[in-house]
Amino acid sequence: MLKIKDLRVEIEGKEIIKGLSLEINKGEVHAIMGPNGAGKSTLSAVIAGRDEYEVTGGSIEFEGKDIMDMAPEDRAHAGVFLSFQYPVEIPGVSVTNFIKTALNESRKARDLDPMPAKDMLKLMREKQALLEMDKQFMSRSLNEGFSGGEKKRNEIFQMAMLDPKLAILDETDSGLDIDALRIVANGVNKLKNEDNAVMIITHYQRLLDHIIPDFVHVLYDGKIVKSGDKNLAIELEEKGYDWIKKEIEA
Amino acid sequence: MTEEDKLLEEVTSAEYKYGFVTDIESDTIKNGLNEDVIRLISSKKNEPEWLLEWRLEGLKKFQQLVEPEWANVHYKKPDLQSISYYSAPKAKKTLNSLDEVDPELLKTFEKLGISLDEQKMLTGVAVDIIVDSVSVATSFKEKLGELGIIFCSISEAIQEHPELVRKYLGTVVPQSDNYYAALNSAVFTDGSFCYIPKGTRCPMELSTYFRINQAGTGQFERTLLIADKGSYVSYLEGCTAPSRDENQLHAAVVELIAMDEAEIKYSTVQNWYPGNKEGVGGVFNFVTKRGICHESAKISWTQVETGSAVTWKYPSCILKGDNSIGEFFSVAVTNNFQQADTGTKMIHIGKNTKSTIISKGIAAGESNSSYRGLVKIMKGAENARNFSQCDSLLMGDKSGSHTFPYIEVKNKTARIEHEATTSKIGEDQLFYCNQRGISTDAAIGLIVNGYCKDVLNQLPMEFAVEAQKLLSLSLEGSVG
Amino acid sequence: MKLQDKLINSFEKFGQSLSGSETDSLRKMRTEGIEVFKNLGFPTTKDEEWKYTSLNKCIKRDYDFGAEFSLDIRSEDVDRFLCTGIDSYKLVFVNGVFNASLSNTTQQDKFFVSNLKDAYEGNSELFNQYYGTIADKELSMVGLNTAYAQEGAFIHVKAGAVVDKLIQILYINSDSSRSMMNQARNLIIAEDRGEVQILERHQSLSDEYVFTNSVTEISVGNEANVKHFKVQNDIDTASLVDSTFVKQGTKSTALVDTFVFSGELTRNNLHFEFTGEHAEAHMDAITLLKGSSLVDHHTFVDHAVPNCQSFQMYKGIYDEKSKGVFNGKVMVRKDAQKTNAYQQNNNLLLSDFASIDTKPQLEIFADDVACSHGCTIGQLDEEALFYMQSRGIPLKEAKAFLMFAFAGDTLKNITIPELKEQLVNLVARELKVDLELN
Repeated sequence: MLKIKDLRVEIEGKEIIKGLSLEINKGEVHAIMGPNGAGKSTLSAVIAGRDEYEVTGGSIEFEGKDIMDMAPEDRAHAGVFLSFQYPVEIPGVSVTNFIKTALNESRKARDLDPMPAKDMLKLMREKQALLEMDKQFMSRSLNEGFSGGEKKRNEIFQMAMLDPKLAILDETDSGLDIDALRIVANGVNKLKNEDNAVMIITHYQRLLDHIIPDFVHVLYDGKIVKSGDKNLAIELEEKGYDWIKKEIEA
Repeated sequence: MTEEDKLLEEVTSAEYKYGFVTDIESDTIKNGLNEDVIRLISSKKNEPEWLLEWRLEGLKKFQQLVEPEWANVHYKKPDLQSISYYSAPKAKKTLNSLDEVDPELLKTFEKLGISLDEQKMLTGVAVDIIVDSVSVATSFKEKLGELGIIFCSISEAIQEHPELVRKYLGTVVPQSDNYYAALNSAVFTDGSFCYIPKGTRCPMELSTYFRINQAGTGQFERTLLIADKGSYVSYLEGCTAPSRDENQLHAAVVELIAMDEAEIKYSTVQNWYPGNKEGVGGVFNFVTKRGICHESAKISWTQVETGSAVTWKYPSCILKGDNSIGEFFSVAVTNNFQQADTGTKMIHIGKNTKSTIISKGIAAGESNSSYRGLVKIMKGAENARNFSQCDSLLMGDKSGSHTFPYIEVKNKTARIEHEATTSKIGEDQLFYCNQRGISTDAAIGLIVNGYCKDVLNQLPMEFAVEAQKLLSLSLEGSVG
Repeated sequence: MKLQDKLINSFEKFGQSLSGSETDSLRKMRTEGIEVFKNLGFPTTKDEEWKYTSLNKCIKRDYDFGAEFSLDIRSEDVDRFLCTGIDSYKLVFVNGVFNASLSNTTQQDKFFVSNLKDAYEGNSELFNQYYGTIADKELSMVGLNTAYAQEGAFIHVKAGAVVDKLIQILYINSDSSRSMMNQARNLIIAEDRGEVQILERHQSLSDEYVFTNSVTEISVGNEANVKHFKVQNDIDTASLVDSTFVKQGTKSTALVDTFVFSGELTRNNLHFEFTGEHAEAHMDAITLLKGSSLVDHHTFVDHAVPNCQSFQMYKGIYDEKSKGVFNGKVMVRKDAQKTNAYQQNNNLLLSDFASIDTKPQLEIFADDVACSHGCTIGQLDEEALFYMQSRGIPLKEAKAFLMFAFAGDTLKNITIPELKEQLVNLVARELKVDLELN
């Protein structure tokens, strides 16, 4: 599904990703772990198409197609979803209006008519229930005045609505209390199936207690320096990132 | 909700949607402005002597005044002698039904999306349509008549209800008020007239569409709206003009009179031709709008201004009666080379008077948008309250945004709060929308509509939808 | 003869009376100044910038200028208008003329504090480099000042120097026999990384009418830091038009704080311009007026380059028949991205006869900026008053407390403890607050 080969990325002349390769197949859950500044968020932003990053080498293929020159919205239409670490506020635009616009733009890209209001409403109710969100929430301005947990739940709600092929969860666990963490993880697990894939970017292991990864990769200094199964995450939690650093430098 | 879908679907072309010329034979009088022209207009319209006198007085006042230059707009002053002051679609006796309307004209309305039949059947909006200077059709008259509501063209009102017109015309905006109001007083050819009797709640939105069609004409409509004691009316005004290379002049006057405990809601969606991308052509929109509130009355102005090359407009409230309320909600969007200098005046005279001002200015391209407002608390205005919020949004680094609030307070019990902010659409907001599959143009439409929500919420539903579309359309392609 | 004509007609004679020591360039400036004044005259309320402030009453009177005024003065008359308890450099002008014996000047390697006249006679190169280059020559009141000004403060801080003491500038008017018009002129130069703090005050000792037209030019070099405090607490027969122009270099900081407590008419034109990036400007003011005093604060902040910040905090409390005007304009020019401009004007009206006219303006031509202004006019918080009363504080004291708190946050940028104490005391006295309780 996602094939990253020898990716190199710079921002303002500074290389952040230094030759990264990664392959994610459908049905898989991958966790990318690493210390602060390793390039985790850069990786997710580059896959989603943020243009302030300059890709200086390598390639990203999604479903067999090179997506490097695609606009962010086209990548979204193709099935890439990024759950933001810091979701953006858009004053005056309700959650309902926003997700409706997003969903129908995606449908338009696939030559589908806009979803009838009745179906839309039904779908929204269903996904709302999944994320345990109350009705009032839907008419609030997008992310404005949301608590950390509300913002993240809203991200996963949008993911549920848009039903992407690849969901990238960038530090989705940060700023969540235990209940919100459970709700968010539960939502992701329910959405997970054999045809889609999830990439979890995280600093800590705690989200991985709820969403069990098939693969765990350690990102350090712009490269994947170690890969393994879920036990690697547990090991990391116990030994800390210094252990990895020492191993590499040795 | 579904309207919001439509909005995004219809965001396809940024060119002026209403820019076409309808081929209607017009009866246009020779260009120029003098006493004879005024006499000719008055006689063509078969007006009473007092009105001719009133017009001539207006002309005299006009000749004593000079064109104002204090506004933050720059343009080549229109040559008032090269304008025809009267242009009527030819043919025509009084029209009794829509069938008698010129088919060409009906087509025009269809293009505008305001087919009368449709309006009649679907929305229950009573419409008075002014093309160039003459009112061509008024619907729903009978139904309103049953309630004693008068809604007709001002020409008709002059014939049918001269006592009402004579009593109120020029009482809120006198002939000598300003240069363009004086000009209007002398040459106005049509406009809408509305009277709501005591204690009557007008059961439908009243609506007027204005359109400049004929080349080389100016449009000088005069609107007079009287809400008698305890009555309520919501009035909508829409404006369009075909695209032409030369500038067309629009100098209207609107007078509102809200008697004790009456309420008037006056909404405008102004989409006159703004000129092309190079700033050629477009309408000069120099409008005087003012209302007077008697005891416990309320006037609420809502405007969405997306059109015109130059806009100069300050819908105002004179809060004369105790406990009266004035409101001004405004969105002004300028793009390319448009210039808008708009705002309001809230004059607090009565006790316990309240006013609210919400203004959202959005400037893109090389345009300039100014808010200019006055809040004046007179000595006797005990316990006056005002809240003003003036926000501007800049798109690109070639546009300009200006805020000129004047606050004058002569009573210690006044409470005034004024806030202004300037911001831009964040890169991160756009990326967030893009990531969810929303294109940049659609995202701008969404974000700007969200930004203007407090104002758009004030509009009646049908108008809100149109206004949202216009906002998106007029800003298309202005980022990235 | 009208004052305006008198000023224009007297210029020739004044020019002849000047000593031959004046350079051609200075003489040329004077001539250009009087030309501007001749063309524009005194500002009138038809001028948008003077819409709310009429000079009429002020300029209808007859004033003497250029005459020989008495220069006798007792030092105790001077001392009570100075900030005491602190070692400082002092420049004292009596009836427009520098008084060396009451002053404490210095001419060190690193900085100069002296009379303007001595400066252009002794240091004409430096003088010519700066004098008249910062003020807006097109303004009539600046033109008039430039035509006639001879004396005033000259402060020069060389690169990297920090002036070790507060500099106090005091203009005393003491002639009890006739009305007088003064043209005070200050030139303050802080070169790169220089630091200086200044206190300026104008004070009348007699009941005769005084009309002062003051111009101050302040050049703030790169990374320099200038703080200028103005205390305007003159008597009811004194009027002041103060025009202060500040030009700031890269990473510099400048502050102008204005404290107005009385005076017949006070007009402050305060103009900030940034020539280098990352500079910071602060303007704070408290106005506490009674009687029929009028104060008009006109600020103009010109963000012509990117990455600069400006902060304005103007507070006013108006009682009896006093009148306040605030006109704040922030201009952000086309390339001045990342500008941060903040402006706040809060007012309390205490009397049925007091009034306030305020006009906060923004003109913005760059899109990536954070600009805001806020303005309020109102009364004291009823609930807070009730709360204090319910704790046994009488209404009058409660009001004074709240007003003191309202005005207090404009004092935050004063770092010299003695100066701060003096100003706090002044505010407290005006508001009748017992500081012991605070």
